[in-house]
Amino acid sequence: MRNLTILTGLAATLILVAGCDRANKAADGNAPASAEAADAAGNSTIADGLAGNASDSKFVAAAKSVGLDKTLAGPGPYTVLVPSDAAFDKLPAGALDALMKPDSRAQLTGVLTYHILPGTILVADITKAIDNGKGKAVLATMGGATLTATKDGDKIVLADAAGTKAVITGVDDKRSNGVVHQIDAVLMPS
Amino acid sequence: MTKWILAAGAAALAIASPALADREGQGGGKGGGKGGQQSAKADRGGGKDRADRGGNARVAKADRGSDKKQSHAVRLSGSDDHGKNRGNAKVRDRDNNRVVVKSRDIDNRGSRFVRVDGDDRFDRRFAGNGWINDCPPGLAKKHNGCLPPGQAKKLVGTRWPDAYQRSFLPASYRNWYPDNDDYLYRVRDGYVYRIDRDRGLINGLFPMFDNDGDFYTVGQRYPLDYGFYNVPTQYQRYYADNNDYLYRYGDGGIYQVNRSNGLVEGIAALLAGDFGVGQRMPLGYDTYNVPLGYRDQYYDTADNMYRYNDGYIYRVDPTTQLITAVISALV
Repeated sequence: MRNLTILTGLAATLILVAGCDRANKAADGNAPASAEAADAAGNSTIADGLAGNASDSKFVAAAKSVGLDKTLAGPGPYTVLVPSDAAFDKLPAGALDALMKPDSRAQLTGVLTYHILPGTILVADITKAIDNGKGKAVLATMGGATLTATKDGDKIVLADAAGTKAVITGVDDKRSNGVVHQIDAVLMPS
Repeated sequence: MTKWILAAGAAALAIASPALADREGQGGGKGGGKGGQQSAKADRGGGKDRADRGGNARVAKADRGSDKKQSHAVRLSGSDDHGKNRGNAKVRDRDNNRVVVKSRDIDNRGSRFVRVDGDDRFDRRFAGNGWINDCPPGLAKKHNGCLPPGQAKKLVGTRWPDAYQRSFLPASYRNWYPDNDDYLYRVRDGYVYRIDRDRGLINGLFPMFDNDGDFYTVGQRYPLDYGFYNVPTQYQRYYADNNDYLYRYGDGGIYQVNRSNGLVEGIAALLAGDFGVGQRMPLGYDTYNVPLGYRDQYYDTADNMYRYNDGYIYRVDPTTQLITAVISALV
């Protein structure tokens, strides 16, 4: 009988401890990720996705030259606005070559981080923010400066501080560590 | 077109920048950067820095990933911030020998300076122990906390003054470096200090926002001298030091540093800067950006909105835009 009492008490204690542990975790606010949503994004990273897209070769090369390829292969998540090779081709002659020189790494890092945003932002999220913001939404970038998003018909238009505009042309390429949107121009931080 | 011409010009100017040249050439700059080494001795204030003379010193294993028994990096509403640093996200600079916070509030990310600390008593207390009252002009320009690297190293191993036990990190760092069973984290005069909890000795320090908003670039020397493994808590499981690389936090991100020469080889992760409970959500976070895996649980409602940044999901009051809770959510 005494053993039964002890065992019962022990079991109760274990249940209590387990319950407390769950309660503590809940109180800590650790957020369990949805496996379904994670599966939907697959295991391919942003870096993987960009490497497999021939039209992104200039962005990939630029990112690698300043070590940002590691960021794009990491846990993220980030939203990456990738100017296509055609967008880079629209730059003034020699501009990209100048930025790709070792001495210009700080500037190139600044330009590229202006195209990387915190978290996962789908185009629908931008659209909703524009609607809620009476026609425009301001987007923080990992470079510190902001972009302004507006709508032009069905298109999302992003503008830098100087007013240069880029249209999102390829949307919601979901990856395990974020999402990629293609844009048709290179934006510059102020 | 004009912008890109300007960009090319800026690149040329940057090459000629004395501050940058100093960082790269002397390995000094933001925090000393004679790096390439962080020996156990150095971590305790001993040892000479020889890495800048071509050294291949190794980091002591004991110092790697040494934040044992980490507390949960979570702060729910009702943190001890009490809104003191509302609207301020980053301590970046000094103003007349006083620590200031560079705001990341809704108006202009990173543009407004607010003083948060400036107790001269601390400077006097450390007089003769490596501290200097006035920042030499050359150091002030480097934003390295106004402390020569050699002087800073001498502080390692010295006793942290009892009077400053409550010199807590600003909200912008508190989630990243929570006190744990082994170490306390405190701030003074532009530096984050790690203090051995049992012995009360300074174990290491690094300048807050040491690169003044710029990124360390590939090939640049990271100032390893008086630092420690300072990867923010929520990222430590992703970026542990190994035989080839060290991972260190610096302004703007987590940097992959070549262990043998102390040079940055890549940006392992970009960081925008932590936010704290009671702080107003900075400009640019109007758009929902919660990672896909968390969207079922954290979606905007009339009462709460949720935003992601640097490994955390922040619950925000839609009306006041104030952060009401921080939820650990690194995917």
